[in-house]
Amino acid sequence: MSGGFLSLEGVHKEFGGVLAVEAFNLEVAKGEFVSFLGPSGCGKTTTLRMVAGFEQPSSGTIRLAGKDVTFAKPNERNIGMVFQSYALFPNMTVAGNIGFGMKIAKKPVAEIKARVGEMLKMIHMEGFGDRYPYQLSGGQQQRVALARALALSPQVLLLDEPLSALDAKIRVALRSEIRSIQRALGITTIYVTHDQEEALSISDRVVVMYQGRMEQVGAPFEIYNFPQTEFVASFVGTLNTVAGEVVDPAAQIVRIDGQLLQTSEDMSGMVPGQKVAIAIRPERLSFATDGVKPNVIDCQIESINFLGSIVRIQVRIGSLLFYMDTFNNPFLELPKVGDTTQVTCSKEAVLILRHATAGEQLAALDLAPSEAAPL
Amino acid sequence: MTISTAPAPLKAEAPAAEAPPKGNRFGSWLIFVMGALYFLIPLAATFYWSLRAEKGRLGFEAYRRLFADAGFLTSFSESIVNAVAAIFLSLLIIVPTAYWVRLRMPKLRPVVEFITLLPFVIPAVVLVFGIIRLYSRPPLLLTATYDSSRVLLVCVYAAISFPYMFRSVDNGLRAIDVRTLTEAAQSLGANWFIIIREVIFPNLRVALLSGALLTFAIVLGELTIALFMAQHTLGPYMANLTRSKVYEPSAMAIVAFAITWAAMGMIAYISRERKRQ
Repeated sequence: MSGGFLSLEGVHKEFGGVLAVEAFNLEVAKGEFVSFLGPSGCGKTTTLRMVAGFEQPSSGTIRLAGKDVTFAKPNERNIGMVFQSYALFPNMTVAGNIGFGMKIAKKPVAEIKARVGEMLKMIHMEGFGDRYPYQLSGGQQQRVALARALALSPQVLLLDEPLSALDAKIRVALRSEIRSIQRALGITTIYVTHDQEEALSISDRVVVMYQGRMEQVGAPFEIYNFPQTEFVASFVGTLNTVAGEVVDPAAQIVRIDGQLLQTSEDMSGMVPGQKVAIAIRPERLSFATDGVKPNVIDCQIESINFLGSIVRIQVRIGSLLFYMDTFNNPFLELPKVGDTTQVTCSKEAVLILRHATAGEQLAALDLAPSEAAPL
Repeated sequence: MTISTAPAPLKAEAPAAEAPPKGNRFGSWLIFVMGALYFLIPLAATFYWSLRAEKGRLGFEAYRRLFADAGFLTSFSESIVNAVAAIFLSLLIIVPTAYWVRLRMPKLRPVVEFITLLPFVIPAVVLVFGIIRLYSRPPLLLTATYDSSRVLLVCVYAAISFPYMFRSVDNGLRAIDVRTLTEAAQSLGANWFIIIREVIFPNLRVALLSGALLTFAIVLGELTIALFMAQHTLGPYMANLTRSKVYEPSAMAIVAFAITWAAMGMIAYISRERKRQ
């Protein structure tokens, strides 16, 4: 038996011969907050629905607290779920919605009332018990949905893109609220989102998914800084991804469009001339005048975009276009478009994507930040 | 303390709505008036005729006689009971069917829709003869007694209400996110029975009322099937009345019309209240 509180072992799902989820293995510890992150159609919601019991795996096992629940009915799993569209019962008041699960469980009326009051306090909506869903804003409705899902003290809380329908400010406020409630209750949580910032900001671990497969599982810091696949590198954050080749594996030197770059990546097993995917985060590049690092590259300024807290500069290195991010400050002196200058980066900033999956991934997602020939 | 007077807000100029040309407006009114007259003149004539029961003066004598007739009250109450029973039976069949089709078998929807439309396609006479042939011999002998025939009649009425009931329920289901509400209820521990009772039925209230009132209006005046099945309902009573009385049939027609319109008015009122919510 596996050690996780919630475990998915070799879970596989097909819809009429079309693969939705493939060989999904995950152990979630009790009280852990795990996010499934990926683009539409990557299988994250299908996986969540299999945990909830709304879909049944084609093969594999799902265990909850050591019990095999693979084919258990949704109403027998004691799992709380929050939906993107809130799914509050329109015919019931806020109190009726929150107390619904307890009413079904035939709890005494006094207990239901007390619990509803407790839940309303938790979501800071005391005094809203008699209102109907249509009298609430989107953010309030989602908070009620969260309270409803938690009222029965479920073993696992599942959230399916709960903030997608809300505007940006409420989204940020509510995600902090979800996280603090989750921490306070210590409830094991699976959170589905396509928003990388959301996933990185609230999760203990992130599972990045693509085309039904788990691309990488790790802490947000790991996922962002040490992407293991080309897809993760491109999907999480902005990344300059270009085709390069190995020059000297022993000295850890690679080449992109005629320019030599030093990397700190382990290149054992590679041979000179081998084609590889090279990736550099925009924020790891800086002007060479700011302090020279091992890699100094000649470039020309193509465009400068002011994005508020950062300034995104597009530079041309040979035939390749790279993005470079620099923090905005009132005294920032920037070169002009067309100027020739030098950029630099540390050797740790030059990543070699080892488990590079099919090169069409970037093109298919239309995420390639660089005009350099994507792999 | 100084009181400052705020300048009067400028009257917002209404956007110049494109008024229809006068000629067009006249044309629209003409069509409306002609349409209204087409419906209202026969109705007014019937009403006028129903008031002429007493010689030399207009009055409600025909209505008094009608309501004093024990046969009317019996057939009227029998029709109401039949209508209510048919509505319940129809709801019992249609709501779970429409719900299940929408939730689990959306591909079957055209098939179910076609089946529910059959009462429109099959003439009442054909339907009733088919039913009589099928249910007048063992093992499905249901036409032997008046009461068993009445049960059969209610079943047939439920079937002829399917086109209205299915459409109303299906529209109602379309207006709510059935799948997500069902899944939300399931995740909170509800079984299918509880989901239908606590979540689906209450949220289909308006749709169910529309279907129910339409069924009520249709069943109340139904003649062909009731006549061939020898039932003493309002339809056959009206037909008999036409043969034996002069003014009462007109009074009866107005009463039936008023009941139908009351049902329609109730649908409109409930729908408007719901929209306002």
